[in-house]
Amino acid sequence: MSKRSATRQITVTHSPGLHARPCLAIVNTVRRFRSKVKIRTSEREADAGEILHVMSLGVPQGAEVTLSASGPDAEEALDALARLFSDNFGFSD
Amino acid sequence: MLQQMELVDGKVAPNGDLTGNVHVYVNPDEQERRYLVETLKIDEHTLVSALDPDELARLEIEPEHVAIIYKRPRNYSSADEFAFRIASTGLFLFADKLVIVVSDDMPVFQGKPFAKISSLSDLVLRKIYGSIFHFVEHLKVINAVSESLEDQIAASMQNKYLLNLFSLEKSLVYYLNAINSNAKLIERLKHAAPKIGFSAENLEFIDDMLIENSQCYEQAEIYSNILASMMDARVSIVSNNLNWLMKTLTIITIAIMLPTLVVSIFSMNVPFPGRDHPLTFWLIIALAGVSVATVRIVWRRKGW
Repeated sequence: MSKRSATRQITVTHSPGLHARPCLAIVNTVRRFRSKVKIRTSEREADAGEILHVMSLGVPQGAEVTLSASGPDAEEALDALARLFSDNFGFSD
Repeated sequence: MLQQMELVDGKVAPNGDLTGNVHVYVNPDEQERRYLVETLKIDEHTLVSALDPDELARLEIEPEHVAIIYKRPRNYSSADEFAFRIASTGLFLFADKLVIVVSDDMPVFQGKPFAKISSLSDLVLRKIYGSIFHFVEHLKVINAVSESLEDQIAASMQNKYLLNLFSLEKSLVYYLNAINSNAKLIERLKHAAPKIGFSAENLEFIDDMLIENSQCYEQAEIYSNILASMMDARVSIVSNNLNWLMKTLTIITIAIMLPTLVVSIFSMNVPFPGRDHPLTFWLIIALAGVSVATVRIVWRRKGW
């Protein structure tokens, strides 16, 4: 199976940023796919499938993050994550 | 900071022209506090309670308004190091408006519970229901973090992850206390329904809230018990990991020490038989090798 990679930049519009519940939503979304996904801020990088790492990032509202995926379903994983971010993680802001 | 909002068409929307019937005070300053106490006749102690994270949930029925203090989870920040904290919120229900006092700037009407609101008293109940919902969601996060920490502990020799687990355990105790405190408040709301003016629909919703809150409490209790009962086992795992490392280091030390001893004996500056023989060097090397092999055989036979 071919290994693909993809990258996407997303702005966190959700208030008040990536707190506990959005972090869990990100991890649960990433775990639905086989690709490895990383989330990078201007300062740090974390494994998006690992809640301890994502929660340690402390991303505030308005921050820009880079999502990069590598694996057979990299594009699909990033599409799902982009939808999650644009949907403000299911919270109607 | 004051945010003016208006309850229209079953939804709470921002209202900039200061005529809204929902007033949200985020960490009110001295002037706003004076207005709340002197003009709206909110009891000063109750107002302070609304901003105090350690205050218990309660209900006060005043002549011109109903004061409700309830507990909610505080939004997690990465600086909290996996300690989930509690905050209080004050709801002051007047005949024509609802005043909400919160200590931190966070979205006040966010998520599922705030759709199709029929009245201000309904909004009060939705706020408390929102807090139950928030607790349940945080319990899911705590469970996920706890599982992740367990995986880290299985391979770790550091106290860091254990300390994180202790923080989670402590958070759950605070959550249990807060959820229990909210349960007492909801019971009191039910009993004071005629005085507050809750409708039959509101009462039905209060019954649902009692059930949801009780389920939330049980869930938090289960997670708390699991964390507490397994803590000793986890401490032992970290200790055992350290023991294994020490054992490996000891094997390496002994394996190096014995050939060093053999070589050292033959390095003494005294004459010994066969010193000048051409094969003596290789004999010493062979003896050093045999000493390593002996350590290995004894180690395996003893099953160390």
